[in-house]
Amino acid sequence: MTDTSLPPQQQSRFNIHRLANPGFFLRFATIIQPWINVSAALCLVIGLVWGLFYSPADWQQGDSVRIMYIHVPMAILASGGYFALAVCALCSLIWKHPLADLAAEEIGPVGAVITALCLITGSLWGKPMWGTWWVWDARLTSVLVLFFLYLGHITLLHAFDDQQKGYKAAAILALVGVFDLPIIKFSVNWWNTLHQPSTFSLTHAPSMSFSMMWPLFFCFAGLALGFIALVCIRLRTAILERQIRHILLNE
Amino acid sequence: MTHLPYLIAAYGITIIALGTISLHSWTRLKQVQKKLSQLQNNNKPS
Amino acid sequence: MKRKTKRLWITLSAMGSFAIAIILILSAFSSNLVYFKAPSQLINHPTEQGTTIRLGGMVMANSLHYSHKDQTPTAQFKVTDGQAAIEVHYTGILPDLFREGQSVIAIGSLDKNNVFTANEVLAKHDETYMPKEVAEALRKSGKWDPKYGPPPDAQTWDHMTKPK
Repeated sequence: MTDTSLPPQQQSRFNIHRLANPGFFLRFATIIQPWINVSAALCLVIGLVWGLFYSPADWQQGDSVRIMYIHVPMAILASGGYFALAVCALCSLIWKHPLADLAAEEIGPVGAVITALCLITGSLWGKPMWGTWWVWDARLTSVLVLFFLYLGHITLLHAFDDQQKGYKAAAILALVGVFDLPIIKFSVNWWNTLHQPSTFSLTHAPSMSFSMMWPLFFCFAGLALGFIALVCIRLRTAILERQIRHILLNE
Repeated sequence: MTHLPYLIAAYGITIIALGTISLHSWTRLKQVQKKLSQLQNNNKPS
Repeated sequence: MKRKTKRLWITLSAMGSFAIAIILILSAFSSNLVYFKAPSQLINHPTEQGTTIRLGGMVMANSLHYSHKDQTPTAQFKVTDGQAAIEVHYTGILPDLFREGQSVIAIGSLDKNNVFTANEVLAKHDETYMPKEVAEALRKSGKWDPKYGPPPDAQTWDHMTKPK
């Protein structure tokens, strides 16, 4: 796999900038896809079975605490996904990376689904524990805003006749909306909220027993790898669709 | 206190939603791969 | 790459200005974003009688009793933030997690006797997750009585799980 457009020392070793080439990315992604799929499935199965059947019930929440094993990873991935959209936006607007727009187009819907699931599982957890399906406190409201930002991003991509304008508008929305992420993170510290503060912090010991922490880590790893696997599949599809369009245009 | 219905609903909705988007993405890939190989066969009969 | 650098600077300064705008807006609206008031805040800045507000705090130990006001069972308890306490009356089903030492949010209004009549009571739970046996162990060792509030710092207990 030598690429003669690069200087000699970069030609044959794996150079991360070669991933910017759609053809190279396609071959690379096709090779790593099964590995990501399998590790995602493995972590997910371990995490879910452990969390559902082999971890202890909480002293006050009982078995309802098991919703945490899906709600918490999805909350993190919801923000992470939008951060990825912002990174794609920077790569597209500033460095004109050839794959950045396609990546943003494929990450958006996955992130939107995960954010919606975070809100739904949160409500299903809140109703028995707090006594309500929803409150307009800073944490819940800012995550709902994040969901609408995702919807806005998806809509903008398809709102223009000129696809390039759509990519640019969506990229701008991604950079503007990224400021919701620190608000989400710190909402429970800055304002009085119904949602409890963070269990994990960089400065103190986690206020969660290890018997619950391990299944949580596996569930998070599984869902994170699953997110990556899904985006990989979708990006491969997008690149192939682009190749089809080129063939059809040249006929 | 058993709030089992909420737990089942949460896991159920999550599995269904993630399963649906995964299946949809996978079938979309397969369709596009099939269409691309058809087009390439039409263009370069070997 | 001059054009690339120019685009980078434009983008960064646009984002920077936007960040400053958001910070200013949020600090201006800070008081409205607060989901509930603490008892001491309510006593120091009482709202008009009859306005519905949210009161948040911890249920004081040994302050919970049930009475029969006008033939309906009413729960009476005190909500405190460590500095001041307000008496709350609530008629209705309390959430499962409600207990002395738990944080709650009561939605209702303060009447002229400084008694807060609640239409709705929500239970907060804190960020600690521990199995029953750890809670029992902490209680037995005398380190913690749930009636008086949250458990001690996690450093003392998050390793205390029974090995499976």
